[in-house]
Amino acid sequence: MRALRFAARTLRRQPARALLGILGIAAVGALLFDMLLLSRGLVLSMEDALNRAGFDVRVTATASLPGTGPRIGRAPAVLATLTALPEVDDAVALRFGSGRVLMTAPSPPVGFTLFGAEPSRRRFWTVIRGRDLAARGDAPTGEVLINEALAAALGVDAGASIAIRASCVRANEALPPVHVRVAGVARFPFDTVEQRTAALSRRDFAVACGEPDDEGADLILVATAPAYGPDQARDAIARVHPDLHAVSNAQLVRQLAATRFSYFRQISAVLATVTLAFGLLLITVLLTVSVNQRLGTIAALRAIGFSSRRMVADVLAESALMVGVGGALALPVGLLLAAWLDRILKRMPGLPAELHFFVYEPRALWLHAGLMGATALLAALYPVRLVSRLPIAATLRSEITS
Amino acid sequence: MTLVEACGVTRVFPMPAGPGVAVKDVSLEVGAGDHVAICGPSGCGKSTLLHLLGCVDAPTTGALRFEGRDVAALGDAERSRIRLTRIGFVFQRFFLLPMLTAAENVELPQAEAGVPRAERVARTRDLLSYVGLSARADHRPSQLSGGEMQRVAIARALANRPGLLLADEPTGELDEATGAQIAALLDRVNDDGTALVIVTHDQTLARRAARVLQMKDGRILDGCHRS
Amino acid sequence: MVRLAALAAVALTAAVHAFEPASRPAGDLPTILISRQLATARGLRAGDDVRLARDRNGRGARTFRIAGIYEPTPDPVRIGAARHEARLHLPDLLALTGEPDDPLADENVDAINIALRPGADAGAYSRTLGARAPGITVHPVADAAGGAGVFVVLERFHLAIAIVTIVASTVFLLALTVMLVDERRETVGVLRLIGLTSRRILLQVFAEGIALAGTGALFGILLALASEGLINRYFQWRYDTALVFVRIAPEVIWRTLLIAVPLGVAGSVLASWTLLRRGPLALVRR
Repeated sequence: MRALRFAARTLRRQPARALLGILGIAAVGALLFDMLLLSRGLVLSMEDALNRAGFDVRVTATASLPGTGPRIGRAPAVLATLTALPEVDDAVALRFGSGRVLMTAPSPPVGFTLFGAEPSRRRFWTVIRGRDLAARGDAPTGEVLINEALAAALGVDAGASIAIRASCVRANEALPPVHVRVAGVARFPFDTVEQRTAALSRRDFAVACGEPDDEGADLILVATAPAYGPDQARDAIARVHPDLHAVSNAQLVRQLAATRFSYFRQISAVLATVTLAFGLLLITVLLTVSVNQRLGTIAALRAIGFSSRRMVADVLAESALMVGVGGALALPVGLLLAAWLDRILKRMPGLPAELHFFVYEPRALWLHAGLMGATALLAALYPVRLVSRLPIAATLRSEITS
Repeated sequence: MTLVEACGVTRVFPMPAGPGVAVKDVSLEVGAGDHVAICGPSGCGKSTLLHLLGCVDAPTTGALRFEGRDVAALGDAERSRIRLTRIGFVFQRFFLLPMLTAAENVELPQAEAGVPRAERVARTRDLLSYVGLSARADHRPSQLSGGEMQRVAIARALANRPGLLLADEPTGELDEATGAQIAALLDRVNDDGTALVIVTHDQTLARRAARVLQMKDGRILDGCHRS
Repeated sequence: MVRLAALAAVALTAAVHAFEPASRPAGDLPTILISRQLATARGLRAGDDVRLARDRNGRGARTFRIAGIYEPTPDPVRIGAARHEARLHLPDLLALTGEPDDPLADENVDAINIALRPGADAGAYSRTLGARAPGITVHPVADAAGGAGVFVVLERFHLAIAIVTIVASTVFLLALTVMLVDERRETVGVLRLIGLTSRRILLQVFAEGIALAGTGALFGILLALASEGLINRYFQWRYDTALVFVRIAPEVIWRTLLIAVPLGVAGSVLASWTLLRRGPLALVRR
């Protein structure tokens, strides 16, 4: 009888303990799997979100976050220079600010985040109702796009008229309100769950900010031409504009991984290590107790001619079977657990709604299988040692006298 | 033909109070077809001697040869092979595998020896019939009586056609009637050509042997042949 | 409670780009404090003279003397961020960063920290001040929901992990107690045969369970206390911060004991109870 089949029979003989052992391994394996998903989850999710927005290089005046540092001056000229590069397919200049929708008393104004973007071939938002902002060159359009949260807060939809008061600089200001018509409702990437967002054309933004001639931009988004890579586009931008700070999506993700996202990578490594150690200890104990309870039988099998290697193979097979079945069960349990943990972490304030902490990648699966396999092997070391060094005669004697 | 030959073997065990000599300078020969009983009080070294003869244990001093081969010169794998194919063991506590049926217990050593499946199945059927348990082939040990379990153990011990069968108190956990049945079965095994060495307290069982060896304090006191 | 900073110093971040040692000897220079991280990164010491400017072009650069080096207050929200900071006297900061053509440049600040007298109601004061000074936002520090929200979420996350770990441990514990109780099956059978009641044996198991579970829990707590130091040291080194990441507080120890000991005892008693449901003869029979 082959070692695996033998191990299966051994486990089936004690169904309660086998089932409990396998369930315990499944729980530990699920936690390990989740930590592997968490270790790169935010990075993968961020990378995906950035790439889905349609732009792969970001240009600012300095290394500060967009909207917090100085602006890029003479943005139209900069845009013209960038779009003339063969490596660049398209470029969009953005302004950031905030605003309030003035409501009929006694309702208080409703605050929102405000973008000013040049309507061009590419949008980083997705219109879900109504239509997009009209592109009218330098003339204001008098139109605004709002997101679902703002539409719900105002109780309006496409076609409605609203009065907004913008806030465009960090100092105190009291700008006159402007009246705009809601062209449509859109989804903006990187909106948080409760965030209210609106977008104006750059010209309308400048008017709302009381700076009709302002040509600054907080951020320029660049889409790379198909024949080139983002790094080539970034390098080309740096050559023509060494005074600006250009970073590709991959670079940005690497920076975030090293700073803001590093905590989750670290905590996942710590928890994965603790989980593995815990699992190793418990599987070792389970196997050792199981072997200790069968020492007489093992000695008898050795006495009737079973080799030491065969008995070692039986112990390894038992470990492999328990960890194999438990590890396989751990995957669906781990995915369910990951969904629950992801829902908890996504409530973090300021987190874009489309970001996830737990993201599946095949690497996590292989790593999980490898680690569980290594755990099965290591856990079997001590019971294998017991079995291979078992004094047959002394054990048989003690079985009779005990 | 001599199957196993012990020349002045001694077995010493390290004990907290000092070394314990379980077998002291024992010389013994068992030939093909022999029927030997080893008797003596508890702790006299009977089981230790049996383990030495069965290559389960190694002597501290002295020479032990099995079918002409020096056992001390053999590695663990070779000794295991001898036990699997040339020696059969029957224990006082049966030591059947509880998760296997009677038939599977008998098949187990054959599978380990590499016997093809069809041959194993046929041999198992024959052995269970030989010990009178054809109807219990699919029963697990927990469903068998003590006597039935010992008969399965004997069938298992004969699975690979050993030349020597070693039995350590084979009737120790059985009632008198059942013990007599086992004794008769062991006689039959010996009559069919397998050498038999039995360690026993049971004088009824011992008297059935052709040679009875008395042991005391690790030594063989005397041996007598019975015609 | 909100504390008043005697000098309303604001950590300069993006506004200060040129941090260079001064090249000329200075007389009565204004003084600044710099963060330990900045001092280490730039090889600066107390007594050094440096030039600060508002942008990388060196606009409005002025010379300052480093009066001392401070450890920034650990801010868990800014973990991973390089704490390259300087603290200036407010007039110096305003002079450095204000727009020259803004007549109110030396009167604008980003925030004012206020310390109330003991017993004062921070919420009521905030509302009163907010009503009297429209255009500014006033809130008690305890209501800084942004920062607290992150840690409420992290707390829930860690609790979820703890729950999963407890479930896994409980399952393993049950598996082990089932195995260990089975080992004592014959002993229990003999005790029943000689006249001990199931209840008496269960009480024995209960007492053993408390001793084992208590010892195990204490061992676990000692292990946690040992790892606390290791984990804190690792993360403090990794993020160059004085933040404490793991703290085994007394309530954590009590909570651990209250969960682990009953679980351990319950596991032993449950496994023994299933065994004791069988008759004594069934227990001793092989």
